[in-house]
Amino acid sequence: MSLTSIKGLQSEIFVPITPSPVWAPVTKPLKKMVVAIATAAGVHHKEDKRFNLAGDFTFRKIFDTMPSKELMVSHGGYDNGDVNKDINCMFPIDPLHKLAADGVIGAVAPIHIGFMGGGGNQDKFKNETGPEIAEIFKNAGVDAVLLTAG
Amino acid sequence: MLVQRSIEAAGIPTIIIAALPPVVKQTGTPRAVAPLVPMGANAGAPNDFEMQYNIVKDTLEQLEILDTPGKIVSLPYEYVAKV
Repeated sequence: MSLTSIKGLQSEIFVPITPSPVWAPVTKPLKKMVVAIATAAGVHHKEDKRFNLAGDFTFRKIFDTMPSKELMVSHGGYDNGDVNKDINCMFPIDPLHKLAADGVIGAVAPIHIGFMGGGGNQDKFKNETGPEIAEIFKNAGVDAVLLTAG
Repeated sequence: MLVQRSIEAAGIPTIIIAALPPVVKQTGTPRAVAPLVPMGANAGAPNDFEMQYNIVKDTLEQLEILDTPGKIVSLPYEYVAKV
């Protein structure tokens, strides 16, 4: 007996579908890797354009030469209280520098990326913003990317 | 998450610190860790350098350990935001 009585029947309830796995193999030891940070937490330089809190698929370049004290957050989707006190809560750049100094990682990348996740135009993120960010990291010789705001 | 998947698809290994592990799992993260942290402080408590350092270190070390996509590793750190 078949358990399927009506083929192709769909639930009325919206059920999100998990996409196919994606995987880039790790090819070198951590202590030789150049590591960058990409965060959906809305981090950017104070002089840079703020994100549109109603939804924004653009991103901001955060150069490694920018002191962490000069970074800020514009993001309407979470409590900014902690990150306003210490940007490292969501953009742990100071610990990353210490890890490089301690020899745990090879080096900190020259560029990082901040964007505003948790909404916005998902097609743009998938087909434009995401690939553009990936290209920047490729060109910067980045071996691994640490993300926050998941 | 979409941007993580784009970077991974371009050939660069990635790992995300997740405050919401079920969400990153559902959206197809390749690698994730989950300390007990709120959405506003994924890398640990504000001005707690030691906690942030250890969370980032433990997270990056998983790059060498994880060998299959979609696994989420719990990290033994806890920070509850005072709201």
